[in-house]
Amino acid sequence: MIRLRFWGVRGSIPTPGAHTVNTGGNTSCIELRYGEAEHLVIIDAGTGIRGLGELLLRDASETEVIRASLFLTHTHWDHIMGFPFFAPIYRKGTELDLYGPVTWEDESLKKVIGHQLNYQYFPVHSGELAATLRYHELREERVELADGMIVHTTYLNHPVLCLGYRFEYRGTSVVTAFDTEPFRNLFPTDPSQSGFDPEIAAEGERAAREENSRLLSFYRNADLLIHDAQYTREEHRRDRMGWGHSSFDDAIENGMASGARRMLLFHHDPERRDDDFEHILARCRNIASKRNMRVDIATEGLVIELPDAQ
Amino acid sequence: MDAQERLSKLASYIDRMPSLPPTVTKVLEICNDRATSPVDLNRVISLDPVLMARVLKLINSAYYGLPNKVVSMVRAIIMLGINTVKNLALSTAVMDTLNRKTDLGVLNPVGFWRHSLAVGVTTRLLAKMHGEELSTIDEYFVAGLLHDIGKIPMDRVLAKEYVEVIEYCREREVPLHVAEREFLGFDHADCGRLIVDTWRLPTTILDTVTYHHRPAEYRGANSAFVYAVHTANYFVNASGIGESGDNYPAALDESAREGLGVDQTKLSELANLVDGEVQKAENFLKVV
Repeated sequence: MIRLRFWGVRGSIPTPGAHTVNTGGNTSCIELRYGEAEHLVIIDAGTGIRGLGELLLRDASETEVIRASLFLTHTHWDHIMGFPFFAPIYRKGTELDLYGPVTWEDESLKKVIGHQLNYQYFPVHSGELAATLRYHELREERVELADGMIVHTTYLNHPVLCLGYRFEYRGTSVVTAFDTEPFRNLFPTDPSQSGFDPEIAAEGERAAREENSRLLSFYRNADLLIHDAQYTREEHRRDRMGWGHSSFDDAIENGMASGARRMLLFHHDPERRDDDFEHILARCRNIASKRNMRVDIATEGLVIELPDAQ
Repeated sequence: MDAQERLSKLASYIDRMPSLPPTVTKVLEICNDRATSPVDLNRVISLDPVLMARVLKLINSAYYGLPNKVVSMVRAIIMLGINTVKNLALSTAVMDTLNRKTDLGVLNPVGFWRHSLAVGVTTRLLAKMHGEELSTIDEYFVAGLLHDIGKIPMDRVLAKEYVEVIEYCREREVPLHVAEREFLGFDHADCGRLIVDTWRLPTTILDTVTYHHRPAEYRGANSAFVYAVHTANYFVNASGIGESGDNYPAALDESAREGLGVDQTKLSELANLVDGEVQKAENFLKVV
């Protein structure tokens, strides 16, 4: 069985306040447990990870080893800013394996994460951490975790290298697709536009189409697809193209086209209020009903259990 | 210093290798513009062998799971996004301004840039004449543009010895790669191969860089690429477009030209087209 618990569902910046109480204001963090041993995988270290850390400390006896694999989708701030507040890293007897993409500058993951633990930003230096931390830099590949959990990775479309993860355990699959935006041809396709070149236009169309189908094949038949849905289609088209996030419509289209059984709309815009979701969700469910795909809004505290398929 | 020591000195320089001077100002201008268009970004990178190789290195090392390596800059910009490519281009261009004070190279940078670009343009034209598929034409351009990339670190890192190599060429009237081998123990094709291997660039580039002076020895699947680059290189040297440092280039390997199915008349007709393309690029970059 895979069990997920959502500790942070917000994108960009934490948004506490009266208008986000139901959905949640913490940034990206998901707890994923699997198998009888309840192995712990954490996806992203947004501010939501603080609460998870507190719980882990509360439940562990003094001598118990806390073991976790932390998969960072990318190193933008909202996905790592909770890390210095993840209390288990200050405890001897915690073993944390950190996985994540390297940046285009080839800066190591350790350096990017460690930058946060600099006296100018935070009072504790990374050298003072008591836990055992192991860094694993990922590209597009396959990683095997304890008890037969397989994690596949693929690059999404975001302004920094960002990985989508596909967790497969005993025939059940959970896929994360944030932060991402559909690939599109960035080159002019209209002969009347300046800079139009028929060869470039054709290559751009083909590249965008192939990249989008590469992602759909990565998402294929997921038991649960957790997808970026930061904007409405109007917001996205108005002035946010190229920011690396999807609209609700993009997310639903990807879920349906890839054959997802269930999907969660994730990485909510800081401007999105609790009241906004009712109407959005009704519309998304209406579209998804054609393919019998269950759609929900990811909310803080939500727990989802997926049984083993094999 | 023996050949092995020279090669390891070159290897340590490769990741600091700067853009070519004629493109730097334009790269800075285009990449500092917040609203850079993908069209301009594609154009400016496609005119600089170092930048082109660097972007291909990034995309092919990151996406190593891809079944086919990416050779197209259009695809690289779509996959990596404008900002990533822009930042990479900026940092490569800035490296040039940092390195400029110690730049003791003997190759004329503008002349070398013209040569590289002209070979890229000619290779593309030859591929079209050979009837290659539209989708691979750009790959031919890239192979031509990058064929002499090995000369850049040799000219910068082994500057003093490279002056002697070029003088030796002039005195003895021998091709540059022959003089390099005699003087240094390896030639710019070997150094180019080192770059292509280190940066894991696609095999079309590996093969053309390695075999552009000895196409008859090539036995792999990319013979059309090797023949096109060899022929284009000969043609550009013979037409006196740009400066490759090769004042006495080897003769054209006729089997390469025949392998492409291009006759001498057709080849000589290319001169105006190539010149025109290089001039267009010079106007765009404001090369004076």
